[in-house]
Amino acid sequence: MIVDFKTAAITAIACWATGSLLSLFARRTSGLKLPALLFSFSGSLVMVLFIGFYWYLLDRPPLRTLGETRLWYAALIPLVGFLVEYRWKIVWLKYYCMVLAGFFLVINLIHPEVFDKTLMPALQSPWFIPHVVVYLVGYVLLAASSVTALHNVSLQLRSKENLNGEAVSHYLALLGFVLLTFGLIFGALWAKEAWGHYWTWDPKETWAFLSWLAYLGYLHAFRYKIDRSKLQWYLALSFLVLLVCWFGVNYLPSAQNSVHTYTQS
Amino acid sequence: MVMVVVSRRWFQSPWEFRESALFTAVAVAGGFFVQYVASGQGIPRLHLPVNAIVLSLFAALILSIGVLFRNNSIVKWFGGIPLGLSLIVAIAALSLIGGIVPQGEVAAGSVSALFGVNQIFSSWPFALAILLFLANLGLSLSWRLVPFKMQNIQFVLFHAGFWIALSCGIFGAPDLQRLVMKVDEGQQSNLGYMESDTPQQLPFSVFLHDFTLEEYPPQLFLYDPQNNRPLQERTKATTLVRKGVKASWKGVDVEVLDFLPFALPTQNGVPEPADRTAGVPFARVRITSADATSSEAWLSTGSPNMEPYAAQLGGLLLVMMPGTPKAFRSEVTVRDDNGQQTTATLEVNHPINVMGWKLYQMGYDNEVGRWSKYSVIEVVRDPWLPAVYLGFYMIMAGNLLFFWNGIKKREVAS
Ligand code: HEM
Repeated sequence: MIVDFKTAAITAIACWATGSLLSLFARRTSGLKLPALLFSFSGSLVMVLFIGFYWYLLDRPPLRTLGETRLWYAALIPLVGFLVEYRWKIVWLKYYCMVLAGFFLVINLIHPEVFDKTLMPALQSPWFIPHVVVYLVGYVLLAASSVTALHNVSLQLRSKENLNGEAVSHYLALLGFVLLTFGLIFGALWAKEAWGHYWTWDPKETWAFLSWLAYLGYLHAFRYKIDRSKLQWYLALSFLVLLVCWFGVNYLPSAQNSVHTYTQS
Repeated sequence: MVMVVVSRRWFQSPWEFRESALFTAVAVAGGFFVQYVASGQGIPRLHLPVNAIVLSLFAALILSIGVLFRNNSIVKWFGGIPLGLSLIVAIAALSLIGGIVPQGEVAAGSVSALFGVNQIFSSWPFALAILLFLANLGLSLSWRLVPFKMQNIQFVLFHAGFWIALSCGIFGAPDLQRLVMKVDEGQQSNLGYMESDTPQQLPFSVFLHDFTLEEYPPQLFLYDPQNNRPLQERTKATTLVRKGVKASWKGVDVEVLDFLPFALPTQNGVPEPADRTAGVPFARVRITSADATSSEAWLSTGSPNMEPYAAQLGGLLLVMMPGTPKAFRSEVTVRDDNGQQTTATLEVNHPINVMGWKLYQMGYDNEVGRWSKYSVIEVVRDPWLPAVYLGFYMIMAGNLLFFWNGIKKREVAS
């Protein structure tokens, strides 16, 4: 079984790597565009096929362990990158997505035992994947938005011309906000099924709400007549709130009775 | 690029951020003041149908003010983005308190209790901020709803969806009932408990046929009998026991030669496979120490009526701990007062619906795990749930539209 995974993972990574290289070259030689696309897509296709095969083999959907969820991330995240490129012509995000997908597969290659990892009953739910994947992609976009905003700030400080940069950080924040909104609602719908209520102000929920508010504030400030170059600072810093939500919550005093701290692993 | 106009005097029309921030700060401070003065007295908890009537009146009031006085400068300000942003900041600041200060009971009379900081989400300042937020959002909605234009559909889905979810979640909170039932195997009960209160009679009874718990494979641990605790650090990579698994700790190798998930010991102490309900996990292990001497032993997790089997390892014990719970479920029959009955299996993440109540598998006797003779079931009634979910679905529909066509049309590098 693990051998088959190795083959699939290495094939997928090779596809993404080739696709990425080709599409870098395609900036000069436009004839390479199609092969680049095909290779990049094949990486995800390999993973989708592998998941299907693995599903058949296990006789249950492979959604149960953390290792298994990483298979899904690896298959889906690049697709988001491609969609963003197709829809909004933001080209570089897909590289980031393919690297992240490859990273997930490498974790699984290094730790084959993660496939055995136990998963507490509350996490065994069809909501687990959409909730986590949506958040993960949202974080990816918002991280990218913050990086772009930081870049914009530094260009401003050096008084350099930068017209497109602000539009890019804005797009990414907007997209990230849409995904955060989905993540929040999926989380609420899941909580209703697993814990009896959709919202209990658990510290993790509170921080997820705070990060959502931070970007809600940004969107409305953007709509209003606020100097857009100043908002780059805001975007660059908003990510700090996300980081607390992501990693930091466990260390806060309020976390002592959170249902979201799975320290058993 | 447009700069904010700064050469404007305080309260000179049109009001902007300064006035909004001041207003919001006064409102929040007022909320804390009320909290202090009313110490202990929470916000009145209105139940159905009163809360529904109050909410409808509030919505009607906001909508009609918005529609009738849409040119009044104060009303415009009240429904505008500057006040909305200030309120978002206020709600974020209050939530930040709730995200840092542990929420729950504290000593009465402490500063935290006086200002409701330990229960920020049901405090006066929070309620006031939310009410103002709803008014602000409601006004901005009224202007997009009347007259309605198809191009506003996205705005309406987001903002009305959020308005509905938030208002119904908050106004409906007093109608939420969450009770816990404890049912013994072979018995029935119709009593639900809230924290420490006296039990409440439910309109149905639950009969528990059977409680079952599945475990993940057991794990090997080194145990220090002197200090009476497992040596977690040394056995960090907990090993799930199965046939052929090997583990090694400083100089000691352990190999699992045989694994019986369900077995019972026979006369001579050697275990034999047994049925699932009675049997306990047994493993035959070979222990090889640094000087290459090896020995074999049976390990077992034991059960409430059987001592575990452990192996000596220097001053330490090699033990097998039961695996963590993988799934637990209760086979129940629910009978309502009219004699209607439903038989179903309750499991975590798989609640069932009975007469407007949802039943959840919650817990069991933790002391004995899979040998538990009772099941703990949570029963929840939330008549406002459909309204809140309607709001969620509207926001998600707005999201989908937004994702597809929100950006292209309007915002290209404006
Ligand atoms: C404080 C109360 C709020 C006010 C006064 C307000 C007002 C506004 C206004 C005036 C716009 C500009 C619309 C346009 O130009 O088409 C807007 C856009 C937006 N608002 Fe709000 N809003 C509030 C709260 C919210 C909330 C709670 C959400 C999230 C559920 C939200 C999500 C959005 C989104 C996503 C947009 C961009 C919509 C688009 O471009 O079509 N707003 N809001």
